Amino acid sequence: MKDAGPRAASYDTVVIGAGLAGLTAALRLAEEGQRVAVLAKGVGATHLAPATIDVLGYVDGPVDSPAQALPEFTAANPEHPYRRLPVELVRAGLDWFKARLEEHGYRGGLDENFLVPTAVGVAKPTALVPETMAAGDLRKGGRFVFVGLRGLKDFFPAYLADNLARAALPGDASVTTRIVELGPPLGDARDVSTAGFARRFEQAEFRESVAGELGRRLMPGEIVGFPAVLGLRHAREVWQELETRLRHPVFEVPTLPPSVPGIRVFETMTAALRRQGARLVVGSTVAGAESSGDRLEGVVTETAGRPLTYRARSFVLATGGFASGGLELDSTGKIRETVFDLPVAGIPGPKRPLFETDYFDEHAISRAGVAIDEKMRPVNGKNGAVYENLHAVGASLGGAVPWREASGNGLSLASGYAAASAILEGQQ
Amino acid sequence: MPTLETEVLVVGGGSTGAGVARDAAMRGFETTLVERGDLATGTTGRFHGLLHSGGRYAVKDPVAARECVVENAILRRTAADCIEDTGGLFVSTRWDDPGFGDDFLQGCRATGVPVEEVPVVEALRQEPRLDPGITRAFAVPDASLDPWKLVSACARSATEHGARILPYHRVLGLDLHGGKVVGARVHNELDGEELDIRADVVINASGAWAGQIAKLAGCEVTVLPGKGIMIAMNHRLVNTVVNRCKPPSDGDIIVPIRTVSVIGTTDVRVADPDELEVTQAEIDEMLDEGEKLVPGFREARALRVWAGARPLYTPDEVADTRDVSRTHTVLDHAKRDGVGGFITITGGKTTTYRLMAEHVVDAACEQLGVERPCATAEEPLPGSEDERFYWLGSRVRAQEPVPGSEEIICECELITREQLTAAIARRRPTSLDDIRRTVRLGMGPCQGGFCIYRATGILHAFDRLDHRAANSALVEFLEERWKGVQPILHGDQLRQARLDDWIFQGLLSVQHLPR
Repeated sequence: MKDAGPRAASYDTVVIGAGLAGLTAALRLAEEGQRVAVLAKGVGATHLAPATIDVLGYVDGPVDSPAQALPEFTAANPEHPYRRLPVELVRAGLDWFKARLEEHGYRGGLDENFLVPTAVGVAKPTALVPETMAAGDLRKGGRFVFVGLRGLKDFFPAYLADNLARAALPGDASVTTRIVELGPPLGDARDVSTAGFARRFEQAEFRESVAGELGRRLMPGEIVGFPAVLGLRHAREVWQELETRLRHPVFEVPTLPPSVPGIRVFETMTAALRRQGARLVVGSTVAGAESSGDRLEGVVTETAGRPLTYRARSFVLATGGFASGGLELDSTGKIRETVFDLPVAGIPGPKRPLFETDYFDEHAISRAGVAIDEKMRPVNGKNGAVYENLHAVGASLGGAVPWREASGNGLSLASGYAAASAILEGQQ
Repeated sequence: MPTLETEVLVVGGGSTGAGVARDAAMRGFETTLVERGDLATGTTGRFHGLLHSGGRYAVKDPVAARECVVENAILRRTAADCIEDTGGLFVSTRWDDPGFGDDFLQGCRATGVPVEEVPVVEALRQEPRLDPGITRAFAVPDASLDPWKLVSACARSATEHGARILPYHRVLGLDLHGGKVVGARVHNELDGEELDIRADVVINASGAWAGQIAKLAGCEVTVLPGKGIMIAMNHRLVNTVVNRCKPPSDGDIIVPIRTVSVIGTTDVRVADPDELEVTQAEIDEMLDEGEKLVPGFREARALRVWAGARPLYTPDEVADTRDVSRTHTVLDHAKRDGVGGFITITGGKTTTYRLMAEHVVDAACEQLGVERPCATAEEPLPGSEDERFYWLGSRVRAQEPVPGSEEIICECELITREQLTAAIARRRPTSLDDIRRTVRLGMGPCQGGFCIYRATGILHAFDRLDHRAANSALVEFLEERWKGVQPILHGDQLRQARLDDWIFQGLLSVQHLPR
């Protein structure tokens, strides 16, 4: 070591956070020839979310068409981040995502929501689903069989089936449900995780055993729902082979984290990033920033040894909300954005509580987050952008309640896509 | 109306009531216990879990201290499975008068509390998270006591001796005949049926609610419910019970119990034991006092806050409930009010529950004109026969030999599918909260984030519970949990709560379930 000063590296854009929003912005910029670094404390919310792209699922009731619902929704919610994301931009983001994740065979679009079952049997609206989930669409009804796997504690088909059989569906769609419980060959293991099952499904013998036992117990015309554990790296092959062997449509139902379908998305997107020459550093915490005037010059990460500075022309904040550590509330009630200490909007006044006493009420804190301008840049109230070259995406943005609206992945995808567009235009 | 006949009817299913039912049943009385909710959901299930050495009362309340000394030793022999032998320390912090240590030593010696002053370096070696600025430390035989295990063991023992234990049975009225209580009319809170219970003697063991029950027999009993709040912290911040060495005050104790540590408490006189509000000021006070014992306490992860109501009985008016003795009182209403067949036991504390039971059953024997000796000081509770204390690693030890050989439903508290299914089969609950208390389901850091979906699935599969009932069990658990979690949400625990929101409201969409 001849140099005792801080080490530095230079990029066109540095993205902080490796969830869907950060990966989308990074991959899109890398594809356009930018030198990109992604700095992440750990893996992102992809490993928690079900890998469906929910754009807008609920406004009062379930939403049939996000494209139709969005204009009115954003007009009624002027602080919502979709306000900065016109319908055609969201549509372009979805198209880009479908093309980049070609091997996932994403189906659907902005004009019509699917209705797919959750693991408790609620028919949930969502815009895009991977091909492994498409046969679970409930809109036309059907006769569904849900498969239980002994040794998997994260999926309860009887509970799902009992609720789903009584779910309210549009038009005259009707659903019948039943279950089949299988005892797959697990050796001595009694407690196998979702990822453990996914790896086993990639073994031909395991698939044969499952398909053999299940095939004898299916009746003509039934649609077969598995927990979302049908393979990690070779999900398409696993799913296709099960459909071929069983001669029934097969689909996956997302269940408790870690999300196998989410891990697939993360793996595909990070592999594509590496192919494009981007740098992905997982395990690095951004601990400081260097700026001059209203320009951000670099961010400093804590790594073993000594700090490392990443300089860039543009930066993307994709650290998520409270769940991911992008926002924090301390014991005295103060909310802060954890990387740049950016202004946080949407905090209720001192007399108003952050939380309601009923769990299912909407809590004021849910809408806290970073406010942005038309270029996706964090702003300080009406005083404009905090830094001219810092953009914010995903769940760090305030104004949304993604899990209630069923809008999380849609917002992440569209905002990541939009930030990349803004950066490309700005750097020309 | 269906009628049930019994010799002794016990009202109240906390530690006192369960202890009374066991004692009476062991003395050969036909015994029935009614409790309006689940067992140990009143004051017993809402305390910090301290098995007193007597040290806390040594200076100010010597009668209570002496009782604690005796009962502590008895419970160590007879209820070992409910006790973790943590030991206790009284420490003088920078904010406390070191001179109080001398009063403390003197008080302990006078009341028989085993005590030993330990060098500060020794105390800090034992509990390295303690503020290094402490000036004195004293070791006493405090311990932690699992209230749910204790009550459940008492109820089991009572049942083995022929008692009927009826949780979710609320007393609507007491029947008087010729100046004597002859029974009670009770309401089954689960199926809505009413039941008439004929009894030779009714024992009012309803603690903070004793005034309300006594009124049903026309007797005036003044119980001052003293509200105490407690906060469970996500770690064993200490492994020894740590008390402030000063006169009893708010936030003066941290009790390590099971996987958490609990800080307590306050003492505020309230009008109604069912209306216990927790204020932000009280929470801040607990966190600030915790900080004085364990620096960094304020930003440590807080799991849940709750309040309980102490049953403080006094014949006189007092200004401060802290001045009321912690000892108990037996009120024989035949002597006191001319109402036969009715005895109230109130005051006291969980550490002395056994002694309280002994005294009130003695009074019942006297009323019934029989002499039957009490055996609870010798006979161990079920599960405690080998006199071995519970210890923190017990559940890990049980699963260590072959990892992955059992399905772990709750990873935080290491609850297996087998244990959960056994608890469901035994209790036949419709509420996941009842199961929570039985096996500590969902009491760990994620507060049910992962196990509650699984437990709902298992509960639903058991006897094919109706889907609406399963949905209600799930949703009600989340609503109940929120009440205890919401007032202290910040830092990492808010992060956890948001993850749970994603699971329940995002991934599963439980808010759209039919109920």
